[in-house]
Amino acid sequence: MKILNCILLMSAVVLLGTTYCVSNNQGGPRITELRSENSPLITFRIILRAGAINDPKGKEGLNALTATLIAEGGTSELTYSQVVEKLYPWAANIDVQTDQEISTFIGDVHRDHLDKFYKLVSDLLLHPRFDLSDFQRVKDRGLNYLKNSLRSTNDESLGKQALTAVMFEGHPYGHTEIGTVQGLTAITLDDVKAYYKNTYTQANLWIGIGGGYPATLIDQMKEDFSSLPAGQVTEVPLSAPAPIKDMEVTVVEKPTRAYAVSMGYPINVTRKDKDFYALLVANSYFGEHRTFNGVLMNRLRGDRGLNYGDYSYIEKFVGGLGSPFPDLNTPLRQQYFSIWLRPVQPENTHFAIRNALFELKNLVEKGLTKENFENTRKFVTSYSKLWASTINRRLGYKMDSEFYGTDYYIDRIERELKTLTVDEVNAAITKYLHPSDIKIAVVVDEGKGQQFFNAMVENTLSPIKYASSVPQNIQDEDKLITVFPLTVNEAKSKVVNAKELFEK
Amino acid sequence: MSRFLGISLISLAALACALAGEPKESNIFPYKINQVTSGNGLKIVSIPFDSPGIIAYYTVVRTGSRNEIEPGKSGFAHFFEHMMFRGTEKYPKTKFNELLKSIGADNNASTSDDETIYHTQASSDALETIIDMESDRFMNLKYSEEDFKTESGAILGEYNKSSSMPFQTIEEKVRDAAYQIHTYKHTTIGFLKDIQDMPNQYQYSLTFFDRWYRPENCVVVVVGDFDQARLMQLVQKYYSGWKRGTYSLNIPAEPPQKEEKMINVPWKAKTLPILSIAYHAPAFSDKEIDMAALNLLSQVVFSQTSDLYNKLVVADQTVESVEGSLEENRDPGLFYIFSRIKDPVNIPKVQDAILAAIEDAKSKPVSSERLASIKSHVKYDFAMGLDNADHVARQISHYIELANDPESVNRFYALYDKVTPEDIMAVAKKVFTTNNRTVLLLAEEKHEVKQ
Repeated sequence: MKILNCILLMSAVVLLGTTYCVSNNQGGPRITELRSENSPLITFRIILRAGAINDPKGKEGLNALTATLIAEGGTSELTYSQVVEKLYPWAANIDVQTDQEISTFIGDVHRDHLDKFYKLVSDLLLHPRFDLSDFQRVKDRGLNYLKNSLRSTNDESLGKQALTAVMFEGHPYGHTEIGTVQGLTAITLDDVKAYYKNTYTQANLWIGIGGGYPATLIDQMKEDFSSLPAGQVTEVPLSAPAPIKDMEVTVVEKPTRAYAVSMGYPINVTRKDKDFYALLVANSYFGEHRTFNGVLMNRLRGDRGLNYGDYSYIEKFVGGLGSPFPDLNTPLRQQYFSIWLRPVQPENTHFAIRNALFELKNLVEKGLTKENFENTRKFVTSYSKLWASTINRRLGYKMDSEFYGTDYYIDRIERELKTLTVDEVNAAITKYLHPSDIKIAVVVDEGKGQQFFNAMVENTLSPIKYASSVPQNIQDEDKLITVFPLTVNEAKSKVVNAKELFEK
Repeated sequence: MSRFLGISLISLAALACALAGEPKESNIFPYKINQVTSGNGLKIVSIPFDSPGIIAYYTVVRTGSRNEIEPGKSGFAHFFEHMMFRGTEKYPKTKFNELLKSIGADNNASTSDDETIYHTQASSDALETIIDMESDRFMNLKYSEEDFKTESGAILGEYNKSSSMPFQTIEEKVRDAAYQIHTYKHTTIGFLKDIQDMPNQYQYSLTFFDRWYRPENCVVVVVGDFDQARLMQLVQKYYSGWKRGTYSLNIPAEPPQKEEKMINVPWKAKTLPILSIAYHAPAFSDKEIDMAALNLLSQVVFSQTSDLYNKLVVADQTVESVEGSLEENRDPGLFYIFSRIKDPVNIPKVQDAILAAIEDAKSKPVSSERLASIKSHVKYDFAMGLDNADHVARQISHYIELANDPESVNRFYALYDKVTPEDIMAVAKKVFTTNNRTVLLLAEEKHEVKQ
């Protein structure tokens, strides 16, 4: 277990007994290895190169339902309960994470139980049970999540998903990772079986393994997974997201005491592009997730106490609530820039939106100073090392890097930032970021949607209400923010009830 | 300890041995723990761990919402956690953040019933900078009343961010009903009315700092790649001026609950009905068997391998989830059971099934095979969580919070080996009585819980 950490800050191909290896699918699926011989832990990340974008029209959720049923539905030999019973004394886990482009089966086990654990994992994937009873249980849970959780009990997730839905309306990313209410409802067990047969092929499965496993396991995996049909990877073509004109606002109504805000737009840059690393520095300066480094966090929370946190992102960011670091294996070919304002008191929400866009405008117009740049570059170079502090996370980053067709992400950050200049960062800001032509999703209290919508459309003044006095420089800035113009595209803006979202 | 777990723990210990030189085969915690107490009472716990170039640096303040004894002051320990980021004369807030940024640190804090933890992950090279910054703010925190009031907005924001989640309300309501006089009556974030009054509590915040941010009430935990001698030199250099406090706390003991409490919570937004059943339970102890036995009982009755789970979730599919576990607290906490029920029609049936499973736990001894499987699960679960310096520091801080002694983790896990089926039945009889129970139902429409 301790050896896991030996790899933390290393960048060589072979280091301290940890070995990278990638094999292609000659005689089985593609395998990515991160071997650390002395580690007592073994971690699996088995990726299916299919996600929500592979859902057939009218069956949105089929990919997620199939993957979840595989992870939580037993094998041809064992029921779901029997699988759980076997895993239990080892405290081992087999989880699944479904996303837009890929789905990932994640498992961790102590080496004492590797053989038996591998047998379970491989049987789940190669010989899934597909019982009707398990199908109904998993399907019910998906529907309950959409109808009773996402729409209702977590406004921050609702705001983010509402933003994604409107940002990618008509695009393959247009429905949630687990589908839609109508799509899930329409799916039958036969649909699942057919999807499995067509999609779970050698070409689509990609096995990642890390830790203290024996080298012989690789040959065994190749042989076992060769029983799947060869298949071929067929990439779903991505159309360009619809262009955004001015500010396109979606006001989502549901009972709530504070208003969550998400805003953003698609950007054509990913980890494979050099510009991404310039934007990485710019974004860290502007809105690094869950730190007090960002401009947004300092201006909205630190100076004004508007809410609990304010961050920005240059790619999809999942998780990061209990930990400052994101979940892995959620790569997208089409990325997006977003700003997340955690729930704000209703009377200050309009001001908070203005404040965030005011700061974004400042960033675009003024860029980073040389000092800002140097400080942030140094921070990102060091901080990024902390993102991969376990072998499981390192393996996840490795596979994401391969998805994007680039070298190991954490190493590439160091390499790119070493030669990056402030001019390149500011040029990237100008090229990709702007405070207008943006989608905004706001979750507001039921019955208050139209009022909020009107205030946005009419560009009503939005003075902030404080619990106490604030310094004069903040008061002066508030005067500018209160009147900061928001050009809302009324024709492309709307008020919806949360109950209407994620329906089809 | 099961045989195969023994093998794994030895292998973990052997890995630790390579660095620390002290294998402890009988211990669940496989790494060497250094403990030094300074003259001013500050305890330093340091654990060498193979994370080249990286350290986790924690300060455990053994003060949480448990310490909030005055009326109107609930949530103050958590509020104070926020104020600790507002700077000092030496390192004003902006300078503090700049320094953290310059060392590429992950730095944050959290508060619970019994503790407030300040945690940093950073390069080993930054050790002196971290100690300088941390010791400075623990000794010399300084903020204006305006800053204090502004930060209260962030606290309200933190309450707001979870306000749409039913479980925040459930915890508030259950604690408020289950406790009469103990400070566990309120949640860590506090009553909303107290949060809304926080801007007016500047003077009290100074008192709070004076009472609790004292060396004898704090433990510094360092895990990872560091030099022990250098660490102790730096501790001496930066913390020796910290003065002991004088305040002593008398938290009223909660009297036994005399009758069952029933709560119905109508919920405005869409939700599945959520049934919560809570019982007063024993305080943490690494000597008495009750908490260890109750933790194992929670696995017997509520884990994914339990009969109840297989009936309600897998076979009948009347609920989406059912779970039960004990809060590990310094004083007697609550054993919580939650179930999300798919159809309101089945609420009474689910409640009956849960209560029947609890009754079974009082009279039907768990088989030796199943008990061995559960003990194995509990220990592997712990061992597999020790996979980086930060996780090791977090685990050990939990036992410092509870017992003021990191070695408590080894004593507590050793208790699991001693738990018998009879111990589990005995603690079930002691805890799961009708008068000791608080039942809550949160649902969209009015559905009374069964008496």
